[in-house]
Amino acid sequence: MAFLQLKSLIKSFGPVRVVQEFNLDVARGEFVSLLGPSGCGKTTVLRMVAGFESPTSGQIIIDGADVTGLRPSQRNVGLVFQSYALFPNLTVAGNIAFGLKVARKPSDEIATRVKDMLKLIGLPDLGERYPFELSGGQQQRVALARALAVRPRVLLLDEPLSALDAKIRVSLRDQIRDIQRELGITTIFVTHDQEEALSISDRVVVMNKGRADQIGTPHEIYNKPKTEFVANFVGTLNAFTAVVTHAAKGTIKVNDTAITVPHLREMQLTNGAQVKLGLRPEALHVGKQPAPATNLPATVEDVHFLGSVIRLRVRLGDEVMSIDTFNRSTEKPPVIGGKTTISLNPTDLILIQ
Amino acid sequence: MTIASHTDTSPRRSPLALPGWSWNWLGVVPFALFALLFLILPTIQIVFGAFRTPEGDITLRNIAGLMEPNILHAAWVSIKLSLISALGGCIIGLGLAIAVIRGGLPSVLRDATMTFSGVASNFAGVPLAFAFIATLGRLGIVTLLLRDLLGINLSALGFNLISFTGLTLAYLYFQIPLMLLIIAPALDGLKREWREAAESLGAEGIEYWRRVALPVLWPSLLGTFALLFANAFGAVATAMALTGSSLSIIPIILFAQIRGDVLQDPHLGYAIAFGMIAITGIANLIYIILRSRAERWLK
Amino acid sequence: MKQGTFWSWVVFIAGAIYFFLPLIATFEFSMRARRGVYSFDAYRSVLADPQFRDTLSYSVVLALLTIVLGLAIVTPTAFWVRLKLPRLRPYIEFITLLPLVIPPIVIVFGYIRLYNTASYLPLTGSLRGTDFLLMCGYATLSLPYMYRAVDTGLRSIDLVTMTEAAQSLGASWTTIILRLVLPNVLVAILSGAFLTFAIVIGEYVLAALLNRPAFGPYMVWMGGNRAYEPAALAVIAFAITWACMGLIQLLTRFQKHTSKKR
Ligand SMILES: Nc1ncnc2c1ncn2[C@@H]1O[C@H](COP(=O)(O)OP(=O)(O)OP(=O)(O)O)[C@@H](O)[C@H]1O
Ligand SMILES: [Mg+2]
Repeated sequence: MAFLQLKSLIKSFGPVRVVQEFNLDVARGEFVSLLGPSGCGKTTVLRMVAGFESPTSGQIIIDGADVTGLRPSQRNVGLVFQSYALFPNLTVAGNIAFGLKVARKPSDEIATRVKDMLKLIGLPDLGERYPFELSGGQQQRVALARALAVRPRVLLLDEPLSALDAKIRVSLRDQIRDIQRELGITTIFVTHDQEEALSISDRVVVMNKGRADQIGTPHEIYNKPKTEFVANFVGTLNAFTAVVTHAAKGTIKVNDTAITVPHLREMQLTNGAQVKLGLRPEALHVGKQPAPATNLPATVEDVHFLGSVIRLRVRLGDEVMSIDTFNRSTEKPPVIGGKTTISLNPTDLILIQ
Repeated sequence: MTIASHTDTSPRRSPLALPGWSWNWLGVVPFALFALLFLILPTIQIVFGAFRTPEGDITLRNIAGLMEPNILHAAWVSIKLSLISALGGCIIGLGLAIAVIRGGLPSVLRDATMTFSGVASNFAGVPLAFAFIATLGRLGIVTLLLRDLLGINLSALGFNLISFTGLTLAYLYFQIPLMLLIIAPALDGLKREWREAAESLGAEGIEYWRRVALPVLWPSLLGTFALLFANAFGAVATAMALTGSSLSIIPIILFAQIRGDVLQDPHLGYAIAFGMIAITGIANLIYIILRSRAERWLK
Repeated sequence: MKQGTFWSWVVFIAGAIYFFLPLIATFEFSMRARRGVYSFDAYRSVLADPQFRDTLSYSVVLALLTIVLGLAIVTPTAFWVRLKLPRLRPYIEFITLLPLVIPPIVIVFGYIRLYNTASYLPLTGSLRGTDFLLMCGYATLSLPYMYRAVDTGLRSIDLVTMTEAAQSLGASWTTIILRLVLPNVLVAILSGAFLTFAIVIGEYVLAALLNRPAFGPYMVWMGGNRAYEPAALAVIAFAITWACMGLIQLLTRFQKHTSKKR
């Protein structure tokens, strides 16, 4: 049975429902991200788990026990905020020791635990500093240690990296993941950054308007988005409509080009129906490819140099699509206005809905 | 971009940093002159006067003159009055501020309280004394109501408005709102996340206040306390209008000295005034020392 | 949480009683002048008193002059310090806070000694001179409030950038001050002004010790000689204070409004 269960959580503020029918099972030691645009209710879900908001209806179960009615202080849940929220009047060590002192642990135990925690977050010598003497990344690591020092049953992180700059964001997220693995702590991580969510999670929950649109591994979320929202929100997607010409074969027609898509056969489509298809930029290739790939003539409209990747905007009839190609120093980059051929593999087409 | 433009033009903005001469300081001459004439020189006059004879010789006799029992007693009453009304103002003001700002009361009440505090903190002096006479004086409404409705005779219980207790009660009327005004922004500065972090770590209610909120507020509390102390210590009008000169506190004695009601050595007046500065000065010094110790964690 | 709210109400109501009782009582008391019935006799007698009018108008005029003097000293200084002498700010701030630490009675004592008839600047020698001294005293007392109000107002605008932008567009100093700085700190200035007004109107010690016929000493004199009129005076004084604070509130609200729209 799942370690943390959210069952049919609903939360309304007055007449507004900000979380609707939210179900989630998190296994012990699992790292789950809540991903979604601003205002979709991520924080609200997290705060319900922490006990700062009481759900309008639904249940929260931790390790088999219903905690829905418990106060935050009784839940033994660790919390990390975007703004670090370190106590400014306490040193780093004082902050980490806070929960242990409240729990009246013996002082030698506190001292060892604080030392261990400082080592865990890689700041063994900064125990006597005050929060204002630390950088943002260091402060957030201390906040993590403070939350972990009491050995919480669940760790909740609300956009912990949003206030940091890009480089630190990446290194700290890996560090968080390492620590999480080391301690085997069940974790919910809130973010609106899809790359962040995909890179460190066991599973990702994509939220939209208070609902969980899709729950799955990063691989599933990216490659098999269940809804248009998920497909668009996670990664870049070239979306277009096509008409089904031969349902039994899986043949469709886009801009007068017929493409046979094997996995559409199982979808029970009817001839003449319109379908919405998506294609990731990296699934398109510049240049001809042998069958079963489909080759299409295109015009380059724009070239964005992104470093390891070059992103092209190409026109195919009425559609404009993004294509990612690797940057190879030996190859000349495409020029704007140039004619080219692009190819795609029908198996890469994603059927939306 | 703003940061860049800041750093590369800042030398021009703070000309004092440059070795070159600049006329910019001329801009503060009027202010400096005013402060010198009407704030600093008068104070220096007092301080020097306290150590001189009328003939201009240096002496400690004036200061020694302060050691008279009636002056020492008045000083003690003054200090007690200021301490108690400042402490009461701080504690009650903080309580009210917490109730209004953090207590889950409707926000209308918060606005109303803050506006009222602006008024009440300036409603000191003579009118305040009248208001308390009308409330708790011999014919005050509360005195009469208690007597007629509940059969409680305040004066028989030992309460007298024209007394230390009465004066403290009146002083609280401006001390509490002053505290409210000063501490409200500090309370707003307590982040919600601190409270939530504390709660999730098991510290709620009193425990949170003891370990986080009060320590964070401590510098502001100290500062306000020092201010309230000085505020009460120098106040004359309320006491004068309330008690006449029947309650001897230091400012009233000085007032009488200056008025010449008491025909004594004029330089005793200097000494008393110097004593007052010394006491509020010491109060502020203590505050600064305590604050700097409490402030290690502040930027 | 629920319990906390309950206690908040208890504290709030206790505070409300403490603060409103004296006001109600004063009002009630002021109406008791006629035996047996409530009347406005005390107010009538106060308003009819020529001394009341004289002292109040004296204090009002003095308050207005104090405001002008205070602004003339504080505004350019605060402006200049922010713009050109940021290093001096802590010192200036320290000086402006001194009147909160040095009791007014001590300051006025210093005046009496420093500016007596035998001194280089015998301000107390003439009535006008004493008035001037009193005004300067009031300006000193209001210095902490005035300076803070104006400085806060200036802080809310990015003075340096704004001035540079204006200068780069060819604006002169007069234009900058009148068109840019003043409108932006007007509310702050007015707040300081009203506060000063409220302080000066009821002030007692300075006026009494400099022997000038201001409203404060008049109130004390009435307190010693009449029964109900003092209560009426207290109500009037409270009304004046309330009006000043109300105006400050109104102004700040108005400003919030306009700045939000922007
Ligand atoms: N206390 C509250 N009262 C009323 N509405 C609220 C409250 N808290 C949140 N909301 C509303 O609930 C919705 C969801 O808020 P929430 O903070 O959970 O979003 P979020 O997904 O965390 O967004 P972000 O990425 O911006 O943090 C928002 O529309 C917000 O306005
Ligand atoms: Mg959020």
